[in-house]
Amino acid sequence: MSTLTTALAMARKDLRLYFRDRTGMALGFLLPIVLVVIFGFVMKVVNGGDSGPSRATLWVVDQDGSEASRAFVAALRSAETLRVRPAADEPAVDEARMRRDLADGELHHALLLPAGFGATVAKRELPELRMLRDPDRTLEQQLIAIGMMQAAIAALGPDFAEAFTTRMLERAGLPKEWRERTTALARGFAGGVRRLFEEKEAQASAKAPAAGSAEGVSVAAEPASPSLDPADFLGQLVPVVNEEFRPPERPRQLTFMLSHSVSGIGVMMLMFGLMACATQLIREREEGVLPRLLGAPSERAALLWGKYLFALLIGALQLALLFAVGGFVFEVDFLRDPVAFLVASFVILLAITSFGMLIAAWARTSKQAEGLSTLLILVMSAVGGAWFPLQAFDPPAAVQVAMRCTLTDWAIRTYQALFWHGHGLRDGDVQTNLAVLLGFTVAATVAARALFERRYVRAA
Amino acid sequence: MSPTDAQRAAPLLEIESLRYRYGQRLAVDGATFAIARGELFGLLGPNGAGKSTTLRCIAGLIEPDAGSMRFAGAPFTPATSGADRARIGAVPQEIALYGELTARENLDFFGELHGLSGAPLAAAIDAGLALAGLADRANDRVKSFSGGMKRRLNLAVGNLHAPELLLLDEPTAGVDPQSRNHLFESLLALRAAGRTLLYTTHYMEEAQRLCDRIAIIDAGKLLAIGTASELAAQAGLPGADLEAVFLRLTGRSLRDA
Ligand SMILES: Nc1ncnc2c1ncn2[C@@H]1O[C@H](COP(=O)(O)OP(=O)(O)O)[C@@H](O)[C@H]1O
Ligand SMILES: [Mg+2]
Repeated sequence: MSTLTTALAMARKDLRLYFRDRTGMALGFLLPIVLVVIFGFVMKVVNGGDSGPSRATLWVVDQDGSEASRAFVAALRSAETLRVRPAADEPAVDEARMRRDLADGELHHALLLPAGFGATVAKRELPELRMLRDPDRTLEQQLIAIGMMQAAIAALGPDFAEAFTTRMLERAGLPKEWRERTTALARGFAGGVRRLFEEKEAQASAKAPAAGSAEGVSVAAEPASPSLDPADFLGQLVPVVNEEFRPPERPRQLTFMLSHSVSGIGVMMLMFGLMACATQLIREREEGVLPRLLGAPSERAALLWGKYLFALLIGALQLALLFAVGGFVFEVDFLRDPVAFLVASFVILLAITSFGMLIAAWARTSKQAEGLSTLLILVMSAVGGAWFPLQAFDPPAAVQVAMRCTLTDWAIRTYQALFWHGHGLRDGDVQTNLAVLLGFTVAATVAARALFERRYVRAA
Repeated sequence: MSPTDAQRAAPLLEIESLRYRYGQRLAVDGATFAIARGELFGLLGPNGAGKSTTLRCIAGLIEPDAGSMRFAGAPFTPATSGADRARIGAVPQEIALYGELTARENLDFFGELHGLSGAPLAAAIDAGLALAGLADRANDRVKSFSGGMKRRLNLAVGNLHAPELLLLDEPTAGVDPQSRNHLFESLLALRAAGRTLLYTTHYMEEAQRLCDRIAIIDAGKLLAIGTASELAAQAGLPGADLEAVFLRLTGRSLRDA
C-alpha cells in the first residue's frame, strides 16, 4: 500500500469536505479576493498618505563640489525623511551609474546638484536641481519632497525666505498681474518665516514653516489653484526638473502600492486559508477519526502528506483566483514572466503550507491552533509588511531583523521582485528569497513530521 | 462453526503475555490468549478493564511494552508494519466517520485508504451498505443518521477491505435495541461468512448469547477463557450464567464494577 495512494485518498476526501462546506469555501475564496480588491483600491487612492517616521532612500550626485553644494548635501543627510546615499563614508557616484541603475530598477531616486550650484546660490538665486526618478514610487516621492524642503530651508537659510515665498506664491497660481502685490506679500511672508526660524532656534522643536503664521495669508489663499498638491507645493521650494525612468517592461497600471497590496494581502489570506486546511488534521483527531486513519496499511506519514497535498491544491486555487481577479480589476498583468510566477508561487505555497502543518502538528487542540495561528499570521502580516509596505522604506535595523523573521516579508519581497522590479528567476535576490523560503519549508516540515509522530501516531 | 471446531482449528491470532502501561497505569497486565480462525471471540470486562487497550495493541495503534503477538503463525507487529495492519480491520469504540460525507463517500474514502479501487471498491461499498442496512440511505450525509445507523456504518467501514480478523470495540454500547439486534445479526453473518471476530463488551447476556468463546478481563488481567459453560465450570458454578461467574471470579458484580 503506497504512501502516495493514501496521500491522494486523503487529499481527495479533504477536497470533497472542503467544497461541501459552502460557508467555509466562501470565506476561503471570496474573502481574500474582496480584501485584496479593497486594499488595492484604497492603496491606489491613498497612495500612502501618512508617511510616518519612515525614510526614503535618495541618491545624490554632487556635480558642483562647491561649499554650498556640500552644505546642501549635508542638509539632505540631516533631513528626517531621507536616507541619503552614498553615505558620508561611501565613495561618490556619478550620473551615468545613476541612470543605469534607475533604468534597471535598482534604485528609484537620484538627485543631481549641477555644476554652477554654488555660483547660483552666491547670487542669491534659487539653483535648479535635477531629479532622476521612477515616477511610480509615489509614496517615497512624498518623503523626498518633505526632506528636500527641510534641506533647502536648512542649507539656504533665511536669506532665501523671500525667494522661497515668491516661488511658492507663484506656484500657488497667483496671476502675473499681481507681481507687485505678490512681492509685497512675499516680504511680509519672509518676515514671518524669519521669525519662525528664530523661534525654531529658540525651541528647536518646530516643524515645517506654517503658512498660517504669516501676515496676509488670506490674500494668497483665495486664488490658490484647486489642483494644488500640498506636498509637491511645499517640496518644491527649490526648482527641480524631473526626469522619469521606468524599469523596462513594467506593467503600466501597476503602481508599487497596488502590486504590494495584492501580494501582501494575498499572502496573508493564503496563510489563513492554508491554516484552516492544516488544522483540519486536529479536528480529525478531536472527532475520533484518527484511529481509523492510523489503521490504514500505509506509512503513517502519508496522512500528513495527504494534508500537505490538499492544502497546496487549495492554496494554488486561491492564488490563481486572487491574481486573476486582481489582474482583471486593476488591469495588471501578473503573468509577465509565467515561469517565474509559477515557481515563486509554488515555493511560497510550500513555505506557508509547512508553516500551517507545523502549527497543526504542534497544537493539542483546534482552539490552540486557531488562536496561535491567528496571532502569528496577524503579527507576521503587520511586521512583514503585508499591510503597509515597510519594504519600501528603510526602517531601523531592529525592525529590519524582525521583518526578516517573518514568512510574509520573504514572500512579499519575492513577489515584488517579480511584479514590481520585473526580475526573473535569474535574479540573485529572487534566488536568495526562494532559497530562504525553501529552507524554512524543509525545517518546518521536518519539525511537523516529528511532532506528527508524537501528537498523532503515538497519541492515538 | 461450533466451539469445538474452533478450538481444533489452527489459531489465527496468538497473544502472549501482552503488557501495556499508560505512564504509571498498567492497563494490560500479561494477557495471553489465542483466537481460532472463524471464531467469534468475546473480551468481557467492566469499564477500565483494559479491553480497548488490548484491541489497540492488536490494531497497531499502540506498541505493547512487553509480550508478543503472532498472526497465522508468523510474528505480528501491526504498530510498525503496514502489511500486518492490512490483515485486520478495526471498528473503534467511538464513531469514526465523517459526518459531512455521505455513507457511500465514507466507505469510498476508507476503502481507498485500504488500497481498494475500481470495481473491487465499488463491490465492497455495496456490500458494506448492505451489511449496514443503509443501501437506501447511501447518499445521505452521516450527520443526519441516528446513533444506531452510525454504529452500523462504523462496523461496515471496518469490514470494508474484508480483513481476516475484525476487531470490534463495544460495537453495541449505547445502541437502541433494534440497531443492537441488527448488529448481532451482522456479527453472526460475518462469522458465517468465515470471518474471525474479536469483540469487546461489558454486556454479559450479549457475550453469552453470541460468542464462541469468552475471555473475562478485569483490571488488566485475563481471569478466565472458555465457552460460557466452560467458564461456569472453571468458576465451580456449573450451569450458572456469566453474571454469577464474574461475581465469583472478581468478588464483585459486573454492574457495579
Ligand atoms: N490514553 C490513556 N492515558 C492514560 N490512561 C488510559 C488511557 N486510556 C486508557 N487508560 C486507562 O487504562 C485502563 C484501561 O483502559 P481501557 O483499555 O480503555 O479499558 P476498557 O476499554 O476496558 O474500558 C483504564 O484504567 C484507563 O483509565
Ligand atoms: Mg473501552
